[in-house]
Amino acid sequence: MALLEDLIFFDNPSIWHSFGGDYGGYGGVVWQMFIWSVIVALLVGVWLLYNLIYFRHTEGDPDHADSLKAGVFPHERGNVKIELAWTIAPLILVSWLTLISLGPLNYMWDVDGQEPDLIIDVQGGQWQWVYSEPSCVDIEDNAWCTGGIYQKPPEFTKCEEYAEREGVPLGWDCVEIPDNAIIHFRITSKDVLHAFYIPEIGIKQDAVPNLETLAWLDTGTVSAGEYNLYCTEFCGDSHSLMLGEIHITEVQ
Amino acid sequence: MNKRILSIGFIVAIIFAVTAFPTGNGLPTGIGNENQVVNGCTCHTGGENGNVAIILQDLPEIYNVSKNYTLTLNISGGPPEAEWNKGGFFIQASHGTLHSIDDNTWKPEGQTHLTHTEVGNNYREWSFNWTAPESDSYVAKFSVWANSVNGNAKNMAEHGENSDGMGSSGDFWNDAEFISAGATAVITETKEEMSVPQKMIYAFGILFLTLSVVVVGNRMVVKDQSFEDVIKDYWDATYPWLTTTDHKYIGTLYIVTGFGFFFIGGILGLLIRWQLLEPRVDGDFLTYEEYNSTFTMHGTTMIFLAAMPIIFGFANYLIPLQIGARDLAFPRLNALGYWLLPTGGLVIYMGYFTGGAGDVGWTGYTPYSSGDTATRPGTDFWVAGQIMLGASSTLTAINFLTTMLRMRAPGVTLMRMPLFAWSILVTVFLLLLSIPVFTVALLLLMADRTFGTLYFDVTAGGDPILWQHLFWYFGHPEVYIVILPAFGVLSEIISTFSRRPIFGYTSMVYAMATIGIISFIVYGHHMFTTGADPLFRFIVMLTTMLVAVPTGIKIFNWLATMTGGSIVLKTPMVWALGTVITFTIGGITGIILASIPIDIALHDAYFVVAHFHYVLVGGTIFAFIGGIYYWFPKMTGKMMNEKLGLLHFATSFIFFNAAFYPMHNVGIEGMPRRYATYDPELAGLNEFISIAAMLFGFAQLLFIYNVIYSYRNGEEAGDNPWDGWSLEWATSSPPPHNSFTEIPTLKVAEEEEA
Repeated sequence: MALLEDLIFFDNPSIWHSFGGDYGGYGGVVWQMFIWSVIVALLVGVWLLYNLIYFRHTEGDPDHADSLKAGVFPHERGNVKIELAWTIAPLILVSWLTLISLGPLNYMWDVDGQEPDLIIDVQGGQWQWVYSEPSCVDIEDNAWCTGGIYQKPPEFTKCEEYAEREGVPLGWDCVEIPDNAIIHFRITSKDVLHAFYIPEIGIKQDAVPNLETLAWLDTGTVSAGEYNLYCTEFCGDSHSLMLGEIHITEVQ
Repeated sequence: MNKRILSIGFIVAIIFAVTAFPTGNGLPTGIGNENQVVNGCTCHTGGENGNVAIILQDLPEIYNVSKNYTLTLNISGGPPEAEWNKGGFFIQASHGTLHSIDDNTWKPEGQTHLTHTEVGNNYREWSFNWTAPESDSYVAKFSVWANSVNGNAKNMAEHGENSDGMGSSGDFWNDAEFISAGATAVITETKEEMSVPQKMIYAFGILFLTLSVVVVGNRMVVKDQSFEDVIKDYWDATYPWLTTTDHKYIGTLYIVTGFGFFFIGGILGLLIRWQLLEPRVDGDFLTYEEYNSTFTMHGTTMIFLAAMPIIFGFANYLIPLQIGARDLAFPRLNALGYWLLPTGGLVIYMGYFTGGAGDVGWTGYTPYSSGDTATRPGTDFWVAGQIMLGASSTLTAINFLTTMLRMRAPGVTLMRMPLFAWSILVTVFLLLLSIPVFTVALLLLMADRTFGTLYFDVTAGGDPILWQHLFWYFGHPEVYIVILPAFGVLSEIISTFSRRPIFGYTSMVYAMATIGIISFIVYGHHMFTTGADPLFRFIVMLTTMLVAVPTGIKIFNWLATMTGGSIVLKTPMVWALGTVITFTIGGITGIILASIPIDIALHDAYFVVAHFHYVLVGGTIFAFIGGIYYWFPKMTGKMMNEKLGLLHFATSFIFFNAAFYPMHNVGIEGMPRRYATYDPELAGLNEFISIAAMLFGFAQLLFIYNVIYSYRNGEEAGDNPWDGWSLEWATSSPPPHNSFTEIPTLKVAEEEEA
C-alpha cells in the first residue's frame, strides 16, 4: 500500500511549501499548477466521456445531412464564437501561469541583490564536487567570520566525518554551512558540463567550464540538517555516483 | 503437413539459437563477481577505481619452464591506512600454479586463485610463489583485483556502532593485468567480453540465420526445389523492394523500418528498465558505460530511426493519394532519402562492435561529446550516422514541399487538403528550416572529434553553451515535427469515426501553423539552468506557455467534432481517443515544466522523462498505431482484427500509464534522469515502473501478431471501409500501380448538393 500512497502524494515537502517561504512563493506556483492541471484534465476527460455516452452510433442511425462522402470535401463546420472562447480562455490561463511563475524568480535569482554572508566556490569535475574554503563578505564579526576571515565554527564536524568515511580529501563532495545565512555558491567545472542539484531545496544550476554560475541559498528558509546533492547533467561513466552531502548546521 | 514441419523446424532453430547464444565468461571489472566470493573481497565494490596503484614485483618477462618464482604484490594509494583492515587482493594466473607461502595468503579449496586471509587483511603487500608452466609456449596472464580499505567498518564494529553497509564506504579498488611469457609463446590480443546489447545483436543475428536456414530448407524439401531456385524466388520477391521508386513501396519500407527500429529501441528501453529494477552497482547487469550507451541508443533510435521513419512512411504512402498525385515530385530522390535511413542506422549501431556505442545521450552535449571521455569510436559512429539521417530528412522535406505545393489534383486547394496533409506540410517546413542546423553542428562536432578542430573545445576558448543553442534550435522544432503529424492522424480518425466533418477546419490549420512558428522561439526552455540571460529565459517561458493555446484549440476541436456526431468505436477510434487522454496529460506536464521556478527543480529529473514519454509514446506512437489500424485496409486491402486490436489497446494503455505515470513521482522525489543507479528509497516505485514497462513491451507482440494474422486472414476491406472523405478512399485498396487510374477531382459538398 505504501506504493499506492507514493503514487497519490507528491511527497517533496520543500517543493510544496518551504522554498520561497509561502503560498505566494514557490509553493504557490506549484499548488496553482496542480489545481489548473486537474481542472483542464477533468474538463477534457468529462467532455470525452459525455461524447462517448450521448453520441454513440447505433445500428440503423440515419446519416447526418453533412456526413462524409469519399472524394467530396465536406461541409465546413465551426462556430467562431466558441472557437474564440477556447482560444482566449487558455491564453488568459497561460498568461496567468506565466505571471505567477515570475514571483519566485525574483527570489530565486536574487533580484533584490542581498549581500551574501558567505561565498563558496564549487568546482565540478569527473566525478566529484570540490568546495573551496568559504570566504566572508561582511566586515562585522559573527559566528563564522572574524575580521573578515572565515573561522570554521566548532560545530562543523560533518565533513571531516564524511571525508574519513568515504576516504576522500576534505572538501570533496561535502560542504557544511551555517543556518540563517545567505550563501552564494559560485559554480564552475573543470572538464565537462555538470549540474549542482539539491532536490529537497529545489536548487539546480549547471556547472559550465569557463563560466561561473551562481546558486543562491538563504539557509534561514530551510530547516537545518542533511541534504543530498546530485549531478544532473550527464557527465560520463560515473555520472550517477557524483553525489554529495550538504549540511546546514545551527551555529550559536 | 507443411505447417507441422515448419513449426518443428522453428522450434529446433530457436533451441539451436539459444544454445549458440554467445555468453561472455571473461572476468568482470571490479571485485564482486562470484568468482571472487572469498574472504571479504565482495564487500569492497564501492568507491572509485583508478586511485589504487597495483604492482606485481619480481615477475619475469620471460619465464623458465617449471621454475618457482616468489612474487610480491604491492598496492598503494586510496584511503589512508587504518591500524587494521588495510587492504585485500585476489589474483589468478591463467597458466602455472600459485602457492601460498605464509599466513597472509591462502588458496581456497578446489580453486586456483590466491587471496588474502583475515590476517592478510592488515597489509598492503603480500608475497607468494608461482610455479611456471611446464611448457614455454604459454603466455601466463595474471589478473589482479586489489582494494585499499580504510577500516571504518571494523572501527565502528569495535565501538559497538552499527556498521551495516559501511563495509565498502570509502574503500577504493582497482584491477590490473600482468603477463609473463614463455620463450616460444606467441602473444595474441586478448578478446574482450561482449556487452549485453552486443550479445543481443549476435543472438538475434544467429536466430535470424537459423530461421532462414529452416525456411529455405523447408521450401527445398516440401516443394522439391533446388537451393538456387529458392534463393531466386526470394530474390525475385526482394528485388522490386530494393529498386523501387514507387511512393507506396517506399512508404511501406519506411513504416516497416520504423517499426523495426521501434522494436529494437524498445528492447534497449527494456534493458534500461531492467538495469533500474533495483539500485545496482557498476557491472551488476550493465556497466555504467554500457548503460550510458543504452540510453543514448534508445533515445536516438526512437526519435530518428523509429518516430520519424514511421511519419515519413505514412506521409510517403498517403500524401500523393490524399492530394491526388501519382507519385512524389522526385521519386528517385525519395528512394535515396529512404536508403540513407537504414544505412545511417547501421552506422550508428556499428558502435556496438567497436567497444561501446555512442554514450553522449541523444542530445550529445559538448564538451563531453567533443572530449576524450566519450566512447571512441562509438561516438564517432553515432555522429556519422546522424549526419546521414540529417541528409535523408532534408531531401525528404524538399521532396514533400515541392509535391504538395505543385502537384495537387484539380479541386484540392491548400485549404481543402485533408488535415493529415496539412500537418505534413507544416512538418516538412519545420524540418527544412531546422535539421540542416543540426547537421552542420554535427559536422563541426565530427571535425572536432576526428580532425582536431576546436569549435567546442573549452580549453581553447570554445563556447561551452554553443552546442546547446545549435542543438535545441533544431531539437525543439524536432519534437513538433514528431507530434504534428500525429495531430493530423487524430484529426482524420476522429472526424471519420464521428461521421462528421472536423469542427473548425480553418482554425485547425491555423493552429498547426502557429505551433510551427512558435516552435522556433521556444527552444531556450531546455536551457533554464545553464546560466543563460534572464531575459532570454523569461521570453522562452512565455512563448512555451503560448504553445498550449493552439494545442488546446486542437484538443477542443476534436472534442467538439465528436459532440453531435455519431461515434463508431472501432479500433482506430479507440486508439485516437486514448491518445487524446495521454497526450493531454503530457501537454499539461509540458506547461508545468515551462514555468521556470518549477523547471529548475524538475529539469533533468524523471519528471521530464515522464513528460516526453507521455507526448512521444502517448502522443505520436499511439496516434500512429491508430493510423496503422486506420489505413491498413487501404494499404493491404484486408481489415485488421478488431478483437486483437482492442486487446492490444487495452493492455498498451494500462501498462503505458502504469509504467510512465509513476515517473512523475520519482522525478519529484528528485531522481535525476540518465542515472544508472539511484537512492534505494525509490526502489519500490522503480521496480513497479520496470515491471509495467516489460508488460507494455510484451503487449506490442499482440500488434505484430495482429498485423501478420490480418495480412493473411483479414476480411476483404473494399475501397472505403470507414466511410472517410479524402481522396485516398476514392481509389482502390490497395491502390493501383500508378495510385489513380485517372487523376481525380475533389468535389465540394456545397456544390454537390446545389
